[in-house]
Amino acid sequence: MPISIGEFNMRDIFYRLLASPQGLLGSLILLLAVVLVVAGPALAPFDPEAISILARYKAPSLLHWLGTDQLGRDILSRLLIGARATISLSVLATVLAMLLGALLGTASGYLGGRIDEALMRTLDAVMSIPSLLFALLIVSTLGKSDFNAVLAITIAFVPGMARIARSVALAARRQDYVNAAIARGESAAYIVVREMLPNIVAPIIVEATIRVAFAIMLFATLSFLGLGAQPPQPEWGLMVAEARRYFFQAPWMMLMPGLAIAIIAIGFNLLGDGLRDALNPKGQRS
Amino acid sequence: MNTVFRLNRRRFLTTSAIVTGAAMLPFSNTLWAATAARKGGTLRISVDQAVGMLNPLLARVNPEYLLSELLYNGLTRLSQDMQAEPDLAQSWTHNEALTEWTFTLRDNLRFHDASACTAKDVAASLQAILDPKTASPGLRNIGPIQSVEALDDLHVKLTTSAPYADLPVSLAYPDAKIVPAAILQGDIARLSREAVGTGPFKLVSFEPERLVVVARNEHFHDPQRPHLDRVEIRVYPDPTAESSALMSGDIDLMLSAQATEFSRLSEASGVTGLRVPSGQFLNINMACDQKPFNDVRVRQALSLCVDRAALVDFVAEGFGTPGNDTPLNAAYRYHSDIALRQANIEQAKKLLADAGYPNGLDIKLVAPDKPSTRTQLGIAVREMAKPAGFNISVETMANSTYLDQVWKKGNFYVGFYNMQPSADAVFSLLYTSNAAWNETRWNNAEFDTAVAAARGTDDPVKRAALYATAQQLMHEQVPSLIPTFFDVLAAQRTYVQGYQLHPRGAVFRLDQAWLDDSAPKRG
Amino acid sequence: MTAAYLTKRLLLVVYTLLIVSLLVFAITQLLPADAAVTLLGQSATPEALAALRARLGLDQPAWLQFGHWLMAVLHGDLGTSMRNGLPVLGSLVDALGRSLLLAGCSLLLMLLVAIPLGIVAAVRRGRPVDLIIAMLSYIGVSLPEFVTATLLILLFADVWQLLPATGYVPLSENFVEGLRHLILPTLTVSMIMVAHVSRMVRSEMIDVLETDYIRAARLKGLSRRRVLLRHALRNGLLPTITIVALDVGYLLGGIVVVEEIFNIPGIGRELLVAVAARDLPAIQGGVLILAATYCVVNFVADLAYAYLDRRIQYA
Repeated sequence: MPISIGEFNMRDIFYRLLASPQGLLGSLILLLAVVLVVAGPALAPFDPEAISILARYKAPSLLHWLGTDQLGRDILSRLLIGARATISLSVLATVLAMLLGALLGTASGYLGGRIDEALMRTLDAVMSIPSLLFALLIVSTLGKSDFNAVLAITIAFVPGMARIARSVALAARRQDYVNAAIARGESAAYIVVREMLPNIVAPIIVEATIRVAFAIMLFATLSFLGLGAQPPQPEWGLMVAEARRYFFQAPWMMLMPGLAIAIIAIGFNLLGDGLRDALNPKGQRS
Repeated sequence: MNTVFRLNRRRFLTTSAIVTGAAMLPFSNTLWAATAARKGGTLRISVDQAVGMLNPLLARVNPEYLLSELLYNGLTRLSQDMQAEPDLAQSWTHNEALTEWTFTLRDNLRFHDASACTAKDVAASLQAILDPKTASPGLRNIGPIQSVEALDDLHVKLTTSAPYADLPVSLAYPDAKIVPAAILQGDIARLSREAVGTGPFKLVSFEPERLVVVARNEHFHDPQRPHLDRVEIRVYPDPTAESSALMSGDIDLMLSAQATEFSRLSEASGVTGLRVPSGQFLNINMACDQKPFNDVRVRQALSLCVDRAALVDFVAEGFGTPGNDTPLNAAYRYHSDIALRQANIEQAKKLLADAGYPNGLDIKLVAPDKPSTRTQLGIAVREMAKPAGFNISVETMANSTYLDQVWKKGNFYVGFYNMQPSADAVFSLLYTSNAAWNETRWNNAEFDTAVAAARGTDDPVKRAALYATAQQLMHEQVPSLIPTFFDVLAAQRTYVQGYQLHPRGAVFRLDQAWLDDSAPKRG
Repeated sequence: MTAAYLTKRLLLVVYTLLIVSLLVFAITQLLPADAAVTLLGQSATPEALAALRARLGLDQPAWLQFGHWLMAVLHGDLGTSMRNGLPVLGSLVDALGRSLLLAGCSLLLMLLVAIPLGIVAAVRRGRPVDLIIAMLSYIGVSLPEFVTATLLILLFADVWQLLPATGYVPLSENFVEGLRHLILPTLTVSMIMVAHVSRMVRSEMIDVLETDYIRAARLKGLSRRRVLLRHALRNGLLPTITIVALDVGYLLGGIVVVEEIFNIPGIGRELLVAVAARDLPAIQGGVLILAATYCVVNFVADLAYAYLDRRIQYA
């Protein structure tokens, strides 16, 4: 039996995804990201924290493929270890926001009426605080660490995700299967979770995939401002931020992690676009 | 490779401004500088943080010290080799016991509002600084002054609570500026909005986060100075951008340059790098009254882990000198030459085992985020101490949080200090039992006695011996790990003349600076 | 535009501002270290701290502090900054002006570049031009602003020495210099938006071009360009307005980094500094002003959307 989510057939989606150039490239980069996160530390040739006064500011060479930094640490090793922090934390923040937002938005869309109105207006109010500033406030309160930055990004993303979930939920609510469930006497929780959520998963996943890219950049920016990951963590954004002042002595210190961020971010963007096309092929736009 | 750089005092004095690039700076003879100086022009200076506080009694950071020097004067000021020079006071005398000091003021002093500046204003200003309610940083730094009395219009008598030889030097503290008594007795908040000083410049405009402009005070007590017409202080929070501004000529003088930018700046055309060895240091403070650092063996073990010469490279990019766990280096007058402690991991392990930690020790080191060298030092020390069994985790935090929760209370944290004007100043500020900023709670009676005795005599031989004892004690017992001193770095365009970089780091003397003919004319 | 609708919108704005103020105030109460600690720094003594806290009103209970602040705001007074005693409203409005200037220039540049790029990509879909524009867009969207800013400064100010690195010159002081100083920050900010919006425009235009309506117009014999300009463009613009309105929120607060690097004292940077200094009136005032601006911009966007929508329906 083919696996289905709502009206879609998983295998079809998969093939359609790989058929488009964005989908293919995005999937390949996603695969790379998974490899980095899972096997990164095992692949690192050097101890990422080992400082060496003789090896400072070395350009990329056969010994140090991506060069060394101001303390003599191998950049390739730091990138491989840092992938865990950068990629998984950004994904974590987005997934958390997606879950919370989807739940909030779907429930609001289903319940409708005044609750919906009040909830959405409040979320709008929260959205009027720019996400970076909101993250700044939260991190200042909770203390500077990568985990608190994740929390901050999650909270900043939830309103946006909730809005999208809600609009899709509103459309889904009018469907027959929902009315059938109401007629059967199912509880609101059952309807929201078992009937509606599975059908709105698709657009939300697309949005979330693109948001991961944004989360990676936001994370890097927070680190630049000193609010995200703290030294000596090899988080990519922090590496770029710290390397700025050494740009003239050792440009690779900033370019390598910057390139890494860009590649993974582009990958998630491509994947998101590919998913959107795969889930909504031409001629079937709603 | 870095050979250990032994800084000796004579070398320090003659290399006060090391120049790379273009012309030599005339610097040693003020008189010569004055006769060659050209009057006029606008000087643009860049600073790396906001000039938040206009009130000179409350200034706390270098840009604020800069501004208060331009607008106000103190009784004395610091010369290039840390001696007291006349400023508002033209001379001073003291009694045998070094407890009563009488300062004679110049007779032509006027505030910017044309009112006369007399001993009454001096007394009121110093009393305000000594009043805890004012919360002036100068409270603990201008000396153990018991009373201030205006004898007549031109004479002020200061009485100290104990014999104190360094009073003229401590009165040069950046916050010890003279403001009108009328304002102090009336509305002191006025000083946060307007500047009524005796200084060589008057305030024109004040935007703390962006730009502060001052213009020449035509009625300054010395008609020869200042040479400049106008000074503009511009705030550049980002160091890369600040360097670009200097290199493109938008800025004439960078107040302080980062070590990582310095080589690039020195090599740029039209730019001169300025560098002077200084006593600015980072100290890793260990709480001597809490575990594990209450055992001197643990502290000694840590101090045996670090390669000090390497740390100068790692943390100061080579622009510094190694430290020997005392806050004095060759830039200070009473520095005594103790052999530099070398790393010895075996010995460190043994000491740790003796102290009861044969399997090593887990501790958390707090490093505030500004300046970033604090974190760098923490990371480097962490790596260096690993082989001996120290398992240090470095925690960075915002400076304000650090001040609230860690400073003076914490177990293990990194501090940062400008060079102080005298050995007594730095010892009494940080390491005696009754120090206001007793970060380590070391409370060593022998050390206290030596420092107290040294400040009560002005016999250089006796003082040298007493300070030598004090330094030896600190070196042996290591209340703080002090592995690195930083050179003070700055940069300027070649057409700026008369500006000397001061090792104190908080003294600028811009009234002596001038622009030569090649400076651009600005409107 | 009925009176009822306007009233409802106004009430919404008030509700939003109230929620925002409460939320931010609650968070500030949780911040470690207060303004007294940051102001006094290492020279703090217990008496000095107590005296300063009394003077700043920090010793009062939280709800009272908020109440006082709210009362003052209703009278148009945002209080004085705890850092330097200057009135908050004046300095923040100035800062907002500078941010709006940067935001406005960036928006303008973005629209001038992104819309044509999007249209070209849509019209020449699948061809090399489309691919190149797509690649550039993906790259533009994936570089954090501080990376772009650094690279631009290094290129234009250091290597080529064409443009000033940083600094802000008020346009009233010197128009030409002011513009020159704005070029690099504007480029930095618009790069991400251009990439983002051009892709939006492209996909919307593709949708529109596919519709029966357009096909019918083409069949009727209208020239391609006319079809594009009159019908497709207007329909494609509507979602763009929504995006732009959303972006303004990002533009005002999110360009903190650009303001920091280029030394532009805009409202993002003011807030950054205010939070670091625990300057409560400045934080509250800043967030309030930002939220209010956001509401105003959204309102204008809604009006523009409704206007264009109606025109299209009647066209």
